[in-house]
Amino acid sequence: MASSMRPMARLLARASRTTLVPTIERTAPRTALSSIRTTTSTLSNLRAGNNGIRSFSTSPLCLRARTMGQMKARHSTGPFSWKAALLFVLTGGGMIIYFRVEKERLERKRIAEMSKGVGKPKVGGPFTLKDLNGKEFTAEDLKGKYAFVYFGFTHCPDICPDELDKMAEIIDKVKEATKGENIFLPVFITCDPVRDTPEVLRAYLKEFHPGIIGLTGTYDEVKHVCKQYRVYFSTPRDIKPGEDYLVDHSIYFYLMDPDNDFVECIGRQDTPETATRTIMEHINDWKREGKPLKKD
Amino acid sequence: MGWFSWSSDTNTASDGGRIAPDRTSREQCYQGRDMFFSCLDRNDILDAIKDDKEARRKCGKEIAEFETACSRAWVKYFKEKRVMEYNRDKTIERIKKEDAAQVQDLKAQGWSSR
Repeated sequence: MASSMRPMARLLARASRTTLVPTIERTAPRTALSSIRTTTSTLSNLRAGNNGIRSFSTSPLCLRARTMGQMKARHSTGPFSWKAALLFVLTGGGMIIYFRVEKERLERKRIAEMSKGVGKPKVGGPFTLKDLNGKEFTAEDLKGKYAFVYFGFTHCPDICPDELDKMAEIIDKVKEATKGENIFLPVFITCDPVRDTPEVLRAYLKEFHPGIIGLTGTYDEVKHVCKQYRVYFSTPRDIKPGEDYLVDHSIYFYLMDPDNDFVECIGRQDTPETATRTIMEHINDWKREGKPLKKD
Repeated sequence: MGWFSWSSDTNTASDGGRIAPDRTSREQCYQGRDMFFSCLDRNDILDAIKDDKEARRKCGKEIAEFETACSRAWVKYFKEKRVMEYNRDKTIERIKKEDAAQVQDLKAQGWSSR
């Protein structure tokens, strides 16, 4: 109570000072000459008592102007100085940048979390395929790393080759950005298992990037994995040997987090640069939250 | 004519798969396609499937090269894609024009974008 009373008292004192001065000045013209002399003397007394400080100043003692020059300078700029302006701009700018970065991070987090928990869009899921050495490869093998899944077929005319060239660039850029950490797993799943045998796939993928993991399986296995990833699957089942056909399929890259939950799509509109940025943002968010990654 | 080299037995992989065109043959196919399409452009032909006869008469050499360099499925795909892309670009153009006209109209009525 006492501590709150003290500033009150000071305020009152200040208020009386400010009101006192104008009342004297207002009464001055109406009083006789003799009284004028007395009022001026009281005025000068008052001023002397205040050490020449403008009564409305709230600045602490150490910042009070000492000379007339300083006083004039302060009078012309008020409480604003270049230091204050700089501090204001820096703080403001810093806050804006911080909020923007934080907003983007939360937005990404929201997108990433969307595929977890209840009501998640189910993209991806368990599957069993074979890698190019004939070894079984399941969805479990994707866990612990960020997987980058693409569906295609080797007889694809123009879109898949373009996209695979892009994939190769993204692989190198992510590798560079993660300083060579082995946490990014590019996967190519064929939609055309009849023609795309391991040998064909290996020769085909080698032309793009040696790091791409090729996966194939039986017709039903491939159909199943396409369904899991919501990929439109139109491969004809019974094809006469030597028959030529194309396969319609979705042309998105699916970014899956180390829990093997779907995070984001990378599409035709993305350049290797924008795709790498998106992927690195997710990888860095994951690291910042201290979640585990398999680096072997 | 029209038979693609890689569908023959020599292009079957040892494990029974069929070898797809590699980077070089893809490049050859794209070149053949571009030559053929520029010939179509010169002769004002859009749909090489519908106007097959005319295309063959006017661009005989180009179509032969195109069909040797690419598989049959690819030839059909690229011909269809040409028509599709033409229609797509025309639609985009039309929408843009309509948009501009509408903006003009609204501005004439004293509406401003800000």
